[in-house]
Amino acid sequence: MTITLPELRKSFEQVGYICDESTVLTVFLALELQKPLMIEGAPGVGKTEMGKVLSEILKADLIRLQCYEGLDETKALYEWNYQRQLLRIQINRNLEEEQIREEDLFSGDYLLERPLLKAIQAEETAVLLIDEVDKCDPEFEAFLFEVLSDFQVSIPELGTIAARNIPVVVLTSNNERELSDGLKRRCLYLYLDFPEVEKEVKIIKARVPGIADSLAWETARVVANLRRQKDLRKKPSIAETLDWARALVSLNCKRLDGKLVANTLNLILKTRADQQYFNREIGTEGINRILKQSGNGGEICKCQ
Amino acid sequence: MSIKEKLPESHLEENLALFADLLRKEGLPIGTAEMFDALNALSKIDLLRRDQFKSALQATLVKTHRDQALFSRLFDNFFVSPEIQRKNAEDSARHREHLERRVDLANSELRFKGESLQLSLDELKQYSSLSHDQRSRLQDFMQKTETGKNVEPRFRPLLESVVKSHLRYCKTQKNKQRGQTNHGSVIGAGAGPGSVEESLRETDIEAIRAADMPEAEQLLQDLSRKLAVQILRRRRSGPRSGPLDLRRSMRDNMRFGGIIFNLKHKPKRRSKQQILLLCDVSASMKQYSTFVIHFLYGLKEVVRNLSCFSFSDTVENLTPDFKGRTDLKRLLDRVIRCSKNWGGGTNLGLALSEMAEKYPDLINAKTTVIVVSDTKTISIDQAVKELRKLKDRVRRIIFLNPLPVEQWPDYRSVSAVGEHVEMWPCSTIAQLEEVLAGRL
Repeated sequence: MTITLPELRKSFEQVGYICDESTVLTVFLALELQKPLMIEGAPGVGKTEMGKVLSEILKADLIRLQCYEGLDETKALYEWNYQRQLLRIQINRNLEEEQIREEDLFSGDYLLERPLLKAIQAEETAVLLIDEVDKCDPEFEAFLFEVLSDFQVSIPELGTIAARNIPVVVLTSNNERELSDGLKRRCLYLYLDFPEVEKEVKIIKARVPGIADSLAWETARVVANLRRQKDLRKKPSIAETLDWARALVSLNCKRLDGKLVANTLNLILKTRADQQYFNREIGTEGINRILKQSGNGGEICKCQ
Repeated sequence: MSIKEKLPESHLEENLALFADLLRKEGLPIGTAEMFDALNALSKIDLLRRDQFKSALQATLVKTHRDQALFSRLFDNFFVSPEIQRKNAEDSARHREHLERRVDLANSELRFKGESLQLSLDELKQYSSLSHDQRSRLQDFMQKTETGKNVEPRFRPLLESVVKSHLRYCKTQKNKQRGQTNHGSVIGAGAGPGSVEESLRETDIEAIRAADMPEAEQLLQDLSRKLAVQILRRRRSGPRSGPLDLRRSMRDNMRFGGIIFNLKHKPKRRSKQQILLLCDVSASMKQYSTFVIHFLYGLKEVVRNLSCFSFSDTVENLTPDFKGRTDLKRLLDRVIRCSKNWGGGTNLGLALSEMAEKYPDLINAKTTVIVVSDTKTISIDQAVKELRKLKDRVRRIIFLNPLPVEQWPDYRSVSAVGEHVEMWPCSTIAQLEEVLAGRL
């Protein structure tokens, strides 16, 4: 699975994933060097989407491991089908056949494959997305070292299983806690930040078909302004901008104004405290001012 | 194609090693693995494209967002065109020459009874960097001392000691003004400012300007929230974290005729840690203590057994405010306005003895004591004696000292106290985060 840098850049554009040159290059290097790619950034900036997009571009299966507190190797790597093994022993005892051997019980038939093992044993290169790795426990993080550096796993009863095809690994983190140096050392690092207004407009246009030019710009400007508010607890993400833009399109809006923003506020500000802050500190007048400053204060939408 | 085949005449590897060394000096953990990755990455890109070169090195050498601004600055200063390199070398040679002249001048000005004072090169450089007024005042002082009554040549060590102390004081003040007490000068003169957050993290807490306070408070709040998540996560146990519970497993599997299909596990046991925070709120410590209180306030929900006291020569219990629903600003306001201790002198020994007498239930084998103080206290012997007693009764004592580490050898109190506690520097937000994240 080889892809050149210009091909990768073009593919990103084709699937509608708008990113800067540095991001494309980092992804390209991760593919070329066969190293896991660690992506950090605020929620909703397109980290998980990167895994999905890569699977689409490379036409590879996407195998996803969602991390959470308490995740262990039995959920991530493999587990012996304990109940099935016991049943086999019981059946054998009742049939009074020749004694069952230990190797029979610890064979592939009794192995429950979990995402990591699935990715390693895949017949064709797969994209392994290890999502929100910062949510798992540090012990599990240490366990990932072997998989991510040597692309192999050790199962005591079966020995070491090396990858048939080295998977493309994408790890994402919301940076809720500092990840260990060992894990970081094994990965290439990419930080995705909130986009500039121009870039966000491109994303909106790529992802929300049929949106008016003026509405895309105004949406991006309002969101960028909200992100600059230091006291907001949860800043609107790209995913929320897209949801909002889609909602505005379905309302047949062509332009934005303060009243419309206030009425659809639930789509971009998701906590009560943030909405109260908006009403107190910005309000409909503030939005109108922002839009006017950007040179778009003319027409008011009548679509509500 | 390997990098050598690609550029046989180049010094790329050497330059990269030098650059990695520079990054290491600035605190980035660059290992051999990262260097291999960087070289491999460079073999895959167009080396003549500066943006690609920079992105490739950033992806392989930098592993946190925090370090990216620093990397960018260092890269821009390190990888420069030959013309700029030549110009920098010339500037550097001129600067060295100028410095040598100033050091010679300093040597000639700092004399006592015809002999030069025994000062290190650093001290002479420090003297030469003083303003004209400051130098004149120091010379004036030396002149008066030299011409005083019954002044003999054997007084020279005393004078040297005074001059050295003064130079040290001037250096600290200057560093604080720059807000970079612990930040090296490797970045170079042409380096632009980094991100506001990064700069605040590394600035001496006492030197943070009032205008930057909202940003600093926001930063503290973010760090505190991050640490709270970390602590909370450590406390929750996974579904199989405890050992196998044989009794429950057998009982649960009676319905299968005693064959153990479903395993049951015991919950993981966790010891309840108790934290006792003692903040020195004497005049020199006010700002530092305020920051520590601010930082720990964000942890009150997850560190349940947290007790907070301020002290100077007596202790004052802040725990009820800390634990209640008091708003942080109101809490700090109350502490500053109403406290008898705020801005007073420090007597650590007396405060510890009062603590042990009035609050014995807070001092036990589960307690981690965090003391925030610069060790400048009245009666150091009593303080050491009380610390020794406290050490025997609690789990550990973490001492957060805002004095710059290079000054620690100059204070007897630091070494005396340091024998009985785990002492860590905490003059910046970055240091505060590092110490507390690893120990709570």
